[in-house]
Amino acid sequence: MYDLQILINILLTFVINLLVANSYSLIYYPTKFFHIAHAAVITLSAYFVFFFANKLSIPFWPSVAFAITAAVSIGLLCEVLVYLKMRRRNVPALAYLIASIGLYLVLQNCISLYFGDDTKIINTAEVTVGHQIFGAYITTVQLVTIAVSLVLFVAVNLFLQFTATGKSIRAVGSNPELCNIYGISSNKIILTAFGIGSALAATAGILSAMDTNMTPTFGFNLLLYGVVAMIIGGVGSTRGLIAGSLLVATAQHLAAYYIDTKWMDAVTYIILILFLIWKPLGFSGKRLKKVEV
Amino acid sequence: MEYILHLLILICFYTLLSQSLNLSAGFTGLISLSHAGFYGIGAYITAILSTHFGFSFWLNLPLAMLISGAIAFVVSLIALRTVEDYFIICTLGIQVILFSLMNNLMNVTRGPLGIPGIPSISFFGMSLDSKISFLTLSLFFVALVWFVLKNISKSGFGKTLTAISEDEIYTQSIGKNVYQSKIISFTTSAILAAIPGALYAHYISYIDPTSFTVNESIFILSIVIIGGLGNLTGSFLAAAFLVLLPEVLRFVGMPDSIAANMRQIIYGVMLVAVMMTDRNGFLELEFQRKKQKMR
Repeated sequence: MYDLQILINILLTFVINLLVANSYSLIYYPTKFFHIAHAAVITLSAYFVFFFANKLSIPFWPSVAFAITAAVSIGLLCEVLVYLKMRRRNVPALAYLIASIGLYLVLQNCISLYFGDDTKIINTAEVTVGHQIFGAYITTVQLVTIAVSLVLFVAVNLFLQFTATGKSIRAVGSNPELCNIYGISSNKIILTAFGIGSALAATAGILSAMDTNMTPTFGFNLLLYGVVAMIIGGVGSTRGLIAGSLLVATAQHLAAYYIDTKWMDAVTYIILILFLIWKPLGFSGKRLKKVEV
Repeated sequence: MEYILHLLILICFYTLLSQSLNLSAGFTGLISLSHAGFYGIGAYITAILSTHFGFSFWLNLPLAMLISGAIAFVVSLIALRTVEDYFIICTLGIQVILFSLMNNLMNVTRGPLGIPGIPSISFFGMSLDSKISFLTLSLFFVALVWFVLKNISKSGFGKTLTAISEDEIYTQSIGKNVYQSKIISFTTSAILAAIPGALYAHYISYIDPTSFTVNESIFILSIVIIGGLGNLTGSFLAAAFLVLLPEVLRFVGMPDSIAANMRQIIYGVMLVAVMMTDRNGFLELEFQRKKQKMR
């Protein structure tokens, strides 16, 4: 019966990783830089729920809606106030990454200052034992997490495939200058991508915080797992995202089971490094960029 | 007075750290987030050698530099297969791996318990217990590293490194071995990072993994960027500024708990500001020059 429990745990980590990786690649694909402050969006959304629901005693569902809106605004503000201005001056990807580390530091420390560094729990109704399936336990929150993540993943990918906006996001990803020539404003499209990506990340943050608990830095780890999943899956490939997230989740839980939970992080990065050595283009084999000139 | 000396010693440590990182990040353009990891290796090697085997500082230091360099060499062989932002993510991964080794190898590093009881440095039979004598020793190393880095940057090899940071492909086309130069630069920078590591272990006499986290790496990188890439004096000034910043904040009446967070917020804002404006953003100017050349 222990095996089934591991499978459920892998599935849970997988869907959260998938959601984060998807939200991240949505932003990474059109912009081509690492938006580290995305981690702060993940963390902020969970803390906003905590703030609205526990401090202001607003009912749960409206606070979730407010929290996602607030977190999305933070994501959009990063783009409008910082990245957009940098893009006008045409700086290299490295400069965005450093600026985003700066943004992350600011946002994360604001959370630490206001809420404190201790572990917080979002109170949702009453604590339940969870449903028993063939001897393994799964809580309602976990069931909701799996359902919501998978639905969002499918919805976002259908959106990217079949709607005009979704196609524009992919078009901007493959060639922003040509898009501008054809009358698609790449800045508007990137702003849209930031909006949708931040909303997905906010959802992932809330789900993850409700399942376990939260500290001001939990988003950073979550984001890094997503980034690793995206890189080993290959950028811009849906199947790659699934494979990458699954591999990361499986490796983490097997490492936790066979070695020790404290090695989970190290194992994740060892996989990343192994991929960078033997398969630098990820599962999908798409070119990263700049590697070949 | 003791406290002022303590601050001066800290400034020495961060000057050493940021200047050594400046060799790879500033001169060569290899922005790395694993510097605290190599700093930690230096500190741990020193701590283990002196507590288990009773080695003196003068034997620990070269060994720590050697091991840190060897690890950096292996790491650079892997990490340098990637470029620019992928390189940063790769070094971030290496930092996390190094940290979890320090935190989890209980039988070697004692994990989160840390290693206590590291003896202080003795110099020809006299013990450098007092802060003033330790400061003198630190200043000696700062001067030495500064001198070495200044000379590297002026040498032909230094010019190759600058050329790599400006235009990698062009540098390769004139027959320079780019990959090899990058490896040397990255390894040297890690070797130099072991010096403040060894000093730190002997100075504080107790080390634990929390001094060598990702945040510490980000802090060291921030010093380098705020001071200006490739600017050794800038690194020193930025290190002094950021070390003294919490003291200034405390002086204007901010409680300790807030001062630590405020410092991070302030250097976060400074990072964004440097990246957004042309002023002070040395990296910025460097890349613009590169762009103009290509047009």
